[in-house]
Amino acid sequence: MSMKAGGNRSKPGGGSAAGAPASGAGGSGGGRPNLGRGRHSGKGPTAVIFNGVYANMRMVHVLTSVVGTKCELKVKNGAVFEGVFKTYGPECDLVLDAAHRKSPELSIGPRKEDIVESIIFKASDVVVVTFKDVDLSFAKKDNFTDTAVSGKINGEHKEKDLEPWDGGETHNSDSLESLDTDVSNGWDPNDMFKYNEEKYGVLSTYDSSLSTYTVPLERDNSEEFLKREARAAQLADEIEASAAYKARVALENDERSEEEKYTAVVRGERETHTLNSRENKYIPPGQRNREAMSWGPGRQNSPRLSQSSAGPSAPRPGPHDYSPNSGADQRVVNGGSSHWPSPCPSPSSRPPSRYQSGPSSLPPRATTPTRPPSRPPSRPSRPPSHSSHPSYPSSSSSFPHHGPTSPASTLPKRMSSEGPPRMSPKSQRTPRTHRVPPSRTTGIPPGVDLISHNAPGEIPVSAPTRSNSSGGTWSSVVSGAHRPRSPRQNNMGGASTGSSSLPSPQTGTAPMETVATPISASSTAASSAPNMVASPSGDAKECRVQEGRQTSPTANKENIKPLDSSPSITRPVCKGPPSMAPDHRKQIDNLKKFSVDFRLQSSSNPDPTFDQMMTKPPRDPAEKPKDLPLDKVSTVGRDSTEEAVVVIAAGAPGGAPVPSNTTITNTSKPGSPAALSPSPSAPDQKRAGLDVTSQGVQTTATSTFSGPKHEEKEEKKEAVQDQVRKSTLNPNANEFKPRFNTQPKPANTPTPPRPQGQPSPSIVVQQPQAVYGQTVCFPQMYPLTPVSPGVQKSIIWKSPAMYQVQMPHMVSQSKPYRPGKVPNMPQQRSDQHHPPGTPTMMHPATAAGPPIVAQSPAYSAQYFTCSPQQFTSQPLVQQMTHYQSQAQHVFSPVMQGSARMMAPPTHGQPGLVSSSTTQYPEQTHTMYVSPGPMPQQYPHPTATLHPHPQHPQPSATPTGQGQQGGPPQHGGPPNHPAASPVQHPQHPQAAAAAAAQALHLANQPPQQQMYSALAPTPPSMTPGPNPQSPQASFPTAQQTVYIHPQQVQHGYNPNHMAHVQQAHMQSGMVPSHHPGATHPPMMLMATQAPPGGPQPQMPQTALNPIPVSSTTHFSYLAHPQVQPHHQQQL
Amino acid sequence: MAAPGPGEYFSVGSHVSCLTCLGQRLQGEVVAFDYQSKMLTLKCASSSGKPNLNDVILINLAYVSDVDIINDRTETPPPLASLNVSKLANRARSEKEDKLSQAYAISAGVSVEGQQLFQTIHKTIKDCKWQEKNIIVMDDVVISPPYQVENCKGKEGSALSHVRKIVEKHFRDLESQKSMQRSQAQQTQKDSTLSS
Repeated sequence: MSMKAGGNRSKPGGGSAAGAPASGAGGSGGGRPNLGRGRHSGKGPTAVIFNGVYANMRMVHVLTSVVGTKCELKVKNGAVFEGVFKTYGPECDLVLDAAHRKSPELSIGPRKEDIVESIIFKASDVVVVTFKDVDLSFAKKDNFTDTAVSGKINGEHKEKDLEPWDGGETHNSDSLESLDTDVSNGWDPNDMFKYNEEKYGVLSTYDSSLSTYTVPLERDNSEEFLKREARAAQLADEIEASAAYKARVALENDERSEEEKYTAVVRGERETHTLNSRENKYIPPGQRNREAMSWGPGRQNSPRLSQSSAGPSAPRPGPHDYSPNSGADQRVVNGGSSHWPSPCPSPSSRPPSRYQSGPSSLPPRATTPTRPPSRPPSRPSRPPSHSSHPSYPSSSSSFPHHGPTSPASTLPKRMSSEGPPRMSPKSQRTPRTHRVPPSRTTGIPPGVDLISHNAPGEIPVSAPTRSNSSGGTWSSVVSGAHRPRSPRQNNMGGASTGSSSLPSPQTGTAPMETVATPISASSTAASSAPNMVASPSGDAKECRVQEGRQTSPTANKENIKPLDSSPSITRPVCKGPPSMAPDHRKQIDNLKKFSVDFRLQSSSNPDPTFDQMMTKPPRDPAEKPKDLPLDKVSTVGRDSTEEAVVVIAAGAPGGAPVPSNTTITNTSKPGSPAALSPSPSAPDQKRAGLDVTSQGVQTTATSTFSGPKHEEKEEKKEAVQDQVRKSTLNPNANEFKPRFNTQPKPANTPTPPRPQGQPSPSIVVQQPQAVYGQTVCFPQMYPLTPVSPGVQKSIIWKSPAMYQVQMPHMVSQSKPYRPGKVPNMPQQRSDQHHPPGTPTMMHPATAAGPPIVAQSPAYSAQYFTCSPQQFTSQPLVQQMTHYQSQAQHVFSPVMQGSARMMAPPTHGQPGLVSSSTTQYPEQTHTMYVSPGPMPQQYPHPTATLHPHPQHPQPSATPTGQGQQGGPPQHGGPPNHPAASPVQHPQHPQAAAAAAAQALHLANQPPQQQMYSALAPTPPSMTPGPNPQSPQASFPTAQQTVYIHPQQVQHGYNPNHMAHVQQAHMQSGMVPSHHPGATHPPMMLMATQAPPGGPQPQMPQTALNPIPVSSTTHFSYLAHPQVQPHHQQQL
Repeated sequence: MAAPGPGEYFSVGSHVSCLTCLGQRLQGEVVAFDYQSKMLTLKCASSSGKPNLNDVILINLAYVSDVDIINDRTETPPPLASLNVSKLANRARSEKEDKLSQAYAISAGVSVEGQQLFQTIHKTIKDCKWQEKNIIVMDDVVISPPYQVENCKGKEGSALSHVRKIVEKHFRDLESQKSMQRSQAQQTQKDSTLSS
């Protein structure tokens, strides 16, 4: 009765007054129910939050399932209310909407006046509630699953009883027979018309003349008409005889079932498809090269074909000769990068040749290119390298010139055609800009490498570090080389990119192998997975570059050949240098030839932006990553189909090798990831497709790396490893470029990425932000994080030794990196971040503005937390160094992104930015990333901001010192002020204030990206992100300034302090080695910024920085600095 | 999860019968039971006999006697599927609107036939409403009492013809339904009423 009363009351209140209570009740109830529902959906109402009925999952589920159904509610006094069940409360109070009291008499229905908006019934008043004809599966979310659909539909069948069919007497015989004998294919249209007319009175308006759609052909016997008719018949024959027509017709008239075409698992076909779209049969890795070769020419663009074709046939033999073992592997790789064969081989072959011959003829460059494997040689050659450096630049410059001629045209076209419209153009452009600088830088990078090598040779003390650094340098160099190469590759056309991509894999493998033997070198390479990647790419690039630049004619030739057989060649080269001197020479000759070709390709560089972009991107994105991405992308784009397939195949093989060469694989992975990340970032903004492709490429590249590695390992193992590395590097470079062009083959690339991503899940997190930096950082970071302070410090200090150590880390990191790469998202994020920060940022910002912000908060938070801790501990310092390095890496990615972004707006600035960022970013970023310790990274970001200035720092220890002075200040009270000032000071120190600012801006964006990237991975990193986010938000004005403040605010103080210290430390470290050098870098930065010419250099410097970063990784602080110095020197 | 385990008193899936204080015998499969509120939810076969539907009964055990567990199922109850809350909310809203719309018609004195026709049309065309006693479909077609096909008026066109088809089919189905469900006499009576 009370219920009744309640009901009545509510009713009365009803109309108006009741409405409020009801609604209010409903609202409250609704809110609660919603919670309950939410729980439901979550399937886990928690006692803490839910009470009463809400805590009863099943009750909540059932009651929620009947929400919205009509129900009859009986209260204690026997009254029955009918309404729509709206919701229920925790005490099981029930709410009925549009409820009315049901009268005992069967009335038509409730009158409007009888209906109450809603009534709340207390559970104690309710006797029973009946919900009739409720579909309990109504609200199930899986309404569209097969089970849900079939369940519902099939349920209907229950009612239907099967009945025997009675054909009836009439048509029994006739109809049945007619069915058998009726040959007609269904109803005749006229019959249908007739039937419809008779049965339904529908008159068809069908006009057989189709006068509505066409005009009847007026036939006559005039000569004119006959001629036309004959002409038409001829054309028809031509069309119908064309392969394209037949292919299309075959699609429609394909007899195969859907099952056969899309679902059936046909091993042979499938593999061929995935591996090589060209091939339908499974081809042993060893044989793939040849096939790829053949394919390459045909498939590849005519330009490439022409080039590659010339080279390939001849080169093939050469490569094989060079490294029999690697030959097969390389071949595979080459096959993968069929397009690249010439480019790849050329690079690889070149390097090898150089290595081999390097001592004799091109030692400097060759040595540098050869990198790790040839480090010993490289050292000797380093001086030459320096000498060569100039030449490189010149060559790079020459490339541009060449570029304009044909390559550029070809590349662009290819890019556009192959790559996603967006991606290809933008990516290419951005890459080009980067690349161009890189190419120039590449020349420099080699020099850097040389320097690094030289440094070892020159300075015993530094030697260890140098060795490490050299490793780093190698990587860096490689990256630089990669960049250049990538550009070149791009210029070259698909082939170059393809080669690059292939090279990266190869490099990866090479690192692995190298790790085994030349642990230090390999380790360095491996350690900086990004570096490694870069190194591979770099090697490839270097090889290419060298080939291209040095390119002795023979080299060009060889290069061409290598491209076809790039894998084999590259590998052989790697191996070759040690053992295959003669072969190498031959290869070199080929390479020279190739180089000539390459030059032509480089001529493609004509697009300064493209070249720069290409080069820069590699550099910027942590060099390696970017390079890789670029390369990969390029390779993908160019060779994507063919090469990608090959690569994939190689990748499969590589899988096995990877384990043994975990470091290598990791590196490769990292590199690939890094590359991916970089590429993604750039691509993301500009080309999603490219990213995908790049990723795919990367993955493929990695796979190829592994594959090559495996093969090589099996065959030659250590020696082979070296060769392979080299070879791989070269091939990668070539391939990469092609891939860029080939982007079209997303499928391949995409799938590969996934694997990568999976492999390095841990990495993934970090990857997002600064894949580049992360890769590097991770290695470091991991060590650091575990041992955080002590370890890091130790690591840092050990830098020389660290390389090796780092290598392992790198490996682990590298894996993570891949994931990171895989997660394009991260990259994108980074891009986004960048956008916010820099002009380029703007674009990204628009796209990723929100993400950035979100990330930034987390980052900031993390930042704070982490930064303090890290700061406190020495590791912080180390981290700082790492940060710097990482920051650089980050920057590089960012820079790349920004650069790309920038590039579009202002070439000059972009270039500058890119260069600065690239250089710094790569190093620092990598470091940051590796720091895994988000805090460190964050600090770095902040630091990086400062560091940005630091970039200068790294580049210039001197600046670093100045920064140190600044850092303390920063560390002091006014974070913002201090930070900004510090940065500014640094910048000034670095070079031109404007340039510095630009750099800072660029750097900042990168940093932001890095932050974001970093932040994602390590929550602790948050601090950085926050700054970033703010920065991102503020990007408009002087991002650098804002960023700095933000960073500073975020706890930069501590961080800054730490950073400062670190910076000091670094600077100190660096100074010892590269004080002078650092300054030079700064100069370079400045110089680069101002003049276009300088910019290219800048890229180079950037490349160098990248190496530095790698080196830094190795010897976190010192090495980075040294590397920068090297770069500067270069 | 302070709630008692489903199987503490009534295990989910077991069949229970009980007698309410109002003398109503209820029986069904236990779907949920809340000890604190003493609410028991049963699932029964649909009263309309439709296989895909169920009647759900929420019983307050405070007013129930003679609770008898017909058979106890020990099987673990099926997992709960997540629910589409928005879908439920939409259903609740539309149901409410329908009821209010119906109430409006009733209060306006619309005949049962008219209401039935309105419901039928509403199933096909959501855009229909009452305007006094007239049914307005798509703001274009007006169906006025006695809601026969010939009462459908509006601008000649596909809309009008379509509505006419619906109305025509509605009465035809109604006719057949009656013929099937009711005796001849009743049918005739109905017809007479309808015609009237």
